[in-house]
Amino acid sequence: MASVVRGVLKAIKEKGVGGFFRDVRDEGYLNCIFDGNLLQTKIHSIGATLVGVDKFGNKYYEKLGDTQYGRHRFVEYALKSRYNASQVPPEWHGWLHYITDHTGDEVLMLKPKRYGVEHKENLSGEGDEFIYHSKGHALNAKQRDWTRYQSWEPKKN
Amino acid sequence: MSFMMRAVKVPPPSASLEEARHRVFDLFRSACRSLPTVMEIYTLNDVVTVSQLRSAISSEFRNNAHITDPKVIDMLLIKGQEELSNVVEHAKQRHHIIGQYVVDRTGMHHGAGKDPSTSQFLDNFYTSNYF
Amino acid sequence: MAFFARSVQRGSKPLSPHLSALTRRITYTPAVSKPESAAMAPDPDAYSPNRTPVAGARVQLPEKPEDVMEVIVDGHPVTIPKGFTVLQACEVAGVDIPRFCYHSRLSIAGNCRMCLVEVEKSPKPVASCAMPALPGMKIKTDTPVAKKAREGVMEFLLMNHPLDCPICDQGGECDLQDQSMAFGADRGRFTEMKRSVVDKNLGPLVKTVMTRCIQCTRCVRFASEVAGVQDLGMLGRGSGEEIGTYVEKLMTSELSGNVIDICPVGALTSKPFAFKARNWELKGTETIDVTDAVGSNIRIDSRGPEVMRIIPRLNEDINEEWISDKTRFCYDGLKRQRLNDPMIRGPDGRFKAVTWRDALEVVAEVLNKVNSQEIVGVAGRLSDAESMIALKDFLNRLGSDNVLCEGNGPAPKADLRSNYLLNTTISGLEKADAVLLIGTQPRVEAPMVNARIRKTVRANQAKVAYIGPQSEFNYDIEHLGTGPQTLLELANGSHPFYTTLQDAKNPVIIVGAGLFEREDQDALFSTIETIAKRANVVKPGWNGLNVLLLHAAQAAALDLGLVASPETIASSKFLYLMGADDISLEKVPEDAFVVYQGHHGDRSVYRANIILPSSAFSEKEGTYENTEGCSQWTVPAVPTVGDSRDDWKIIRALSEVAGVCLSYDNLAGVRARIEMVAPNLVRVDEREGSTVPFEVKPKVTQQLSSTPFKNAVENFYMTDAITRASKIMAQCSAQLRK
Repeated sequence: MASVVRGVLKAIKEKGVGGFFRDVRDEGYLNCIFDGNLLQTKIHSIGATLVGVDKFGNKYYEKLGDTQYGRHRFVEYALKSRYNASQVPPEWHGWLHYITDHTGDEVLMLKPKRYGVEHKENLSGEGDEFIYHSKGHALNAKQRDWTRYQSWEPKKN
Repeated sequence: MSFMMRAVKVPPPSASLEEARHRVFDLFRSACRSLPTVMEIYTLNDVVTVSQLRSAISSEFRNNAHITDPKVIDMLLIKGQEELSNVVEHAKQRHHIIGQYVVDRTGMHHGAGKDPSTSQFLDNFYTSNYF
Repeated sequence: MAFFARSVQRGSKPLSPHLSALTRRITYTPAVSKPESAAMAPDPDAYSPNRTPVAGARVQLPEKPEDVMEVIVDGHPVTIPKGFTVLQACEVAGVDIPRFCYHSRLSIAGNCRMCLVEVEKSPKPVASCAMPALPGMKIKTDTPVAKKAREGVMEFLLMNHPLDCPICDQGGECDLQDQSMAFGADRGRFTEMKRSVVDKNLGPLVKTVMTRCIQCTRCVRFASEVAGVQDLGMLGRGSGEEIGTYVEKLMTSELSGNVIDICPVGALTSKPFAFKARNWELKGTETIDVTDAVGSNIRIDSRGPEVMRIIPRLNEDINEEWISDKTRFCYDGLKRQRLNDPMIRGPDGRFKAVTWRDALEVVAEVLNKVNSQEIVGVAGRLSDAESMIALKDFLNRLGSDNVLCEGNGPAPKADLRSNYLLNTTISGLEKADAVLLIGTQPRVEAPMVNARIRKTVRANQAKVAYIGPQSEFNYDIEHLGTGPQTLLELANGSHPFYTTLQDAKNPVIIVGAGLFEREDQDALFSTIETIAKRANVVKPGWNGLNVLLLHAAQAAALDLGLVASPETIASSKFLYLMGADDISLEKVPEDAFVVYQGHHGDRSVYRANIILPSSAFSEKEGTYENTEGCSQWTVPAVPTVGDSRDDWKIIRALSEVAGVCLSYDNLAGVRARIEMVAPNLVRVDEREGSTVPFEVKPKVTQQLSSTPFKNAVENFYMTDAITRASKIMAQCSAQLRK
């Protein structure tokens, strides 16, 4: 907490009170004022270096120095209303979990062009329309009725 | 397992045709009352409407309209009760309901009566390739 | 348990030796104290491994004792014919030697070194596949030396083999997988980079992942020895060694699919089957192929209602262990263009799906209106004997005898069975030393017969001559001519090949069934018979005069007497097409009512008034007679599609609706009826040879025409409704035909 206060004071000293509050609004602190997780991340990111932003808009910070060990890399999700860990694409996952020191942008250069698929977040529990239903499932409206063969279609002649 | 017990319990026999008749109406009514639940649990909204199912049920009842023996009616009532509880307790699956009450309308009568003018072969042939 | 056994022992009942052996071990009473149980104790040899030959193989020992020798395998003496290799001796002894490059039908390469065994007095382990067995040789297959040798070889093989089994199509049926489990070490010491090899494009059928190749050269040997195309070869040396087509070239062989089976690893796999299924998910059904008249034995692998692949089944008399590409890859045709509902053509010319009840009633109504002589039935190329007899019986009951099978020509001769069969039999062709092919290109008409002829040519340098249009062969032939003129020269003995034929010990004449379509077929066949008679082709113990049929239904149709002339179609008012798609429908009168019963929407449906969907060969039980006159059964592998029914059942049902009910209503009944007409059709897997002296044949007055012979099969890959519906076959005919 002390570090937070120090960070705030440092920011006020640099930008002045008005500048600080403008920053607070621009950075989206007001949006997350009711969500403790987000606010904590926000506060944590004061004084942290922005390492990269992925294509979904998630921001990756690193805060070296007096941060607790294991908490110096963190992500600020782009989606403020519905965020979860599966929104982190694989190229950033390694960096974020201390598997590698290569940032997502570096790893992305290694991604195979031909068969590398786009990252998709896990939508479990987000509603029936997001969940995979096998073909023939009552909730799978697209594949209610199918055959494993293709029947002859009478053409008009 | 109380509902199982309820399903198994056999009510006392109907004393008269009148009483049996009342019980039939009761069964029909309870079947009709369960229809919204049935529509819900089997997600039948896109294949059938409540009124279609109701008419399917009533035709099931009308199939046996000619029966006057209270004992036979009692027996059929028990069978109907059993079928109803099976349906409501989700003992069946969606395709059972669709197959028996929506598409084929054979309902509880599997293997309907044979047409005497044709051979067994032809009857089998019309139903399936495998016999 | 011990207590129970003892109590039994005390009882008066005599014990089985097995149980007494059990009790001896469990009880503390020493066995010696009971002499009778000690006498019953099995001798120590009974505990040694199973001594029956591998895969139940039977070994025929030569009659002369000097051609037989004895070797000792793992301490057990086995008797083998001379000339066997060490590996074969071990197989007879019931020891399965691991191998990759050795294949019993190919030449011996001896380059994989997996079959190393220890031979006494030999300083090093011996590659058993290439080492001839010598009398009294002491072979040891389970010594530490042999085991270590195998482990070492396996480690070397796995050095450059990618560890991609999870994404490899061979996974689960891979020799390398199995043998590395059984004979390999549990770890490798290789830490360097694995090599990789560029994949080759072998065409639309064979997928290559050349990095997986272990250079066993089976495919190279198969291509050059069996398939007869010099397409594949070995390039480079050492770790740079790779299999390839020397230049960028597709593999143009009608047997190319067999390299998939032959490849012990996943280097050559089936392209259409790639990533479709795993072999343990599949249900195998042993059945018969119907895409040509050979009746190759196949196994249909299916998953649920889908045919996933077709692979060959061993039958030494017909297809050995190969099948043609058409047989192997036609299966996707079974999933396309299927007829699944009975359909009636409405007044607006459109088809409308109806129920079977309505469809049959409409047909019966039309049937009752037409004159019985104007009813014609045509059986298609893929019809089974059951449906053909049903069709014939049905039309006969209606008062018509106009039942024919397509492909049998204007005037089928069904009086003598030997007139339309391959009398020598396919395996009998191996004995031939001179072959005359008349108007037939076995390579496209019956690739398995062609493979046999090629085998004969390679083994006994048989001379092959050919009369017919210019065509490609994969063995040396002498092209004598293109038409009947050459036949006349042969018949009067003036042609040089006549002497070859006459001097041959086992001469063979193969006549193509395409000649059935010719107007002068009687004269043609009598000329051929003259040649056969003069050159002594038919003699006691050898019938060398053959007809090579084209379609699966032909032989059975002739046996059952479906011999009406196709001319009758022109005057028909009611035409019943049972899968007949290759018959010309131009002459069908405008007002004729055409019923099409079949499984594919192919050619004839467009003329049909009513469509009755039936089941394909993979979905029904049927009897098919192959070109040798050997009848075989198909077995249903998958259920029928949609609302279709078996062919004979449709006709049986229709006969009842039409009021002329057939007397049988199950398959056994139909087969009993077939037995009355053609008993050979119910004797499955038997060949009944028939030799009829030429004298009994009627005199022919017809004149030979001079028109040259034509190709009977234009496109090898697309010959019937199933193959025409197949996408793979369409790809093949686009890419592989020249």
